[in-house]
Parts: sequence; C-alpha cells; structure tokens
Amino acid sequence: MVQHQERTSGDIAAHFPEVTRPAISQHLKVLEDAGLLAMRKEGTKRLYQAVPERLADLKRYLEAFWDDRLQLLAREAETEERRSSIPDDQRN
Amino acid sequence: MTSETNYVEREVRVAARAETIFPFLTDPDKITRWMGVTAELDPRPGGIYRIDVTGQDIASGAFVEISPYSKVVFTFGWESEDTMVSPGTSTVEITLTEDGGSTIVRLRHSDLPELDRESHGLGWDHYLGRLVIAAVGDDPGPDPWKATDAGS
Repeated sequence: MVQHQERTSGDIAAHFPEVTRPAISQHLKVLEDAGLLAMRKEGTKRLYQAVPERLADLKRYLEAFWDDRLQLLAREAETEERRSSIPDDQRN
Repeated sequence: MTSETNYVEREVRVAARAETIFPFLTDPDKITRWMGVTAELDPRPGGIYRIDVTGQDIASGAFVEISPYSKVVFTFGWESEDTMVSPGTSTVEITLTEDGGSTIVRLRHSDLPELDRESHGLGWDHYLGRLVIAAVGDDPGPDPWKATDAGS
C-alpha cells in the first residue's frame, strides 16, 4: 500500500475497517521504529511511506536466515541418514 | 435491526456500585486508568472531553449531559483531518444501571459512518474490558495500543 506512495494513517486505517484507529497507529509506530516506514506530519495528518532500502535489508536478512536454516536442516538430515543406514551390529 | 441503524452498542457488567464507576467516566485521573495517556475533562454541558488515547490519537468532543451516577453523554471524534469521524460528529451515551450488587454499563456510540462502526465497536470492547477491571480498583495493565517509544 505504501511502497510507491505516501498515505495518511486514516487512509491506511480505512482499508482495515475491522481494526481500530489506535491499533492501526500502534502497528504503524512499530514499523516506523523499525525503520521500515518513514513518517512525516502535515498538520494533524501523519503520512507514511515504505523505506525501500530498509525493506531490501529485511528481505536479505530473511533470505540469509532461511539459507542458514536450510543448510542446517540438510546437514542434520544427512547425519541422521548416515546413522540410520549403518546396520545395528556395526554401531559402537 | 434496520438499515438506518447508525450506532454500535455494548454492555458490560461491573462488580461495583454506580457511584464508584461514575468518576471513571468524568475524572481525568480515573479515566486514564482504563483509557488514554492523558485526559482533559470538564464534566458539565458544553465542557471539554479530550483524551489522548494512545499518544498518537486524540479523541475530542464536548459533554452534553451529566446525570450523576446514571448517565453521561458526550460528543466524540478524532483530531485528524483524515477521518470520517471528526470531533463533535458522533455521540457517545453511557448509562449505569445498578442490578443486584453490580452495575450494568451500557454504551451507545451513534452517528457513526457505516465504515467506522465495526472498528469503534471493537475499540469500545477493548476499553470497556479495561474499565471492568479498573473500576473495581484493579490494574488492567498497560494498554497494548499505546504508542511506545523506540527501543522500549
């Protein structure tokens, strides 16, 4: 919603009629504190837009996270496979 | 139910007398125990009703009617240019009815645009749940919707 354009908190809230205004503000504040959204005030309005560099950082982090986890999974699974392929009488 | 219904209504039961609950609707120090970071309340007809609900969202209006221990009416809206519910455009009526040893608190929020009804109903669910706890002298804990500073 805010990737390519600024939107006001009210405009964002209008897309989520089942969420209260205070709760929307809380979510936006968390994303802003995390640096994923940039906020500027204009009168009583708060305008939000995504921060592409930070989103790219997050994307890289998540990809690296899963790369690491998947490598670990592969290693563990291979170890398990070798262990179970050794016949019982040859185990120490 | 008709299509003309323009309000949301909620009801909670509080284990306290109406006399005990009433100041939780009119006294800034007591109201902020269940709703708001700060409050400015002048409980007389035409007096200000202004609550900074989260540190980011200010609810604002004026008292319309104050009938000690039974009824409070005030107008309600958000101090923001980008809302359909501007200050003074909707009305909240809260009545207290003693029933046995406890009190039924009924809240009706009228004149809400259709798109804003569900969210305001949920907001009152959240805050009336906190009132039920605060009005008997317990601590409802920090409001999860309150804006926190970075890092805290």
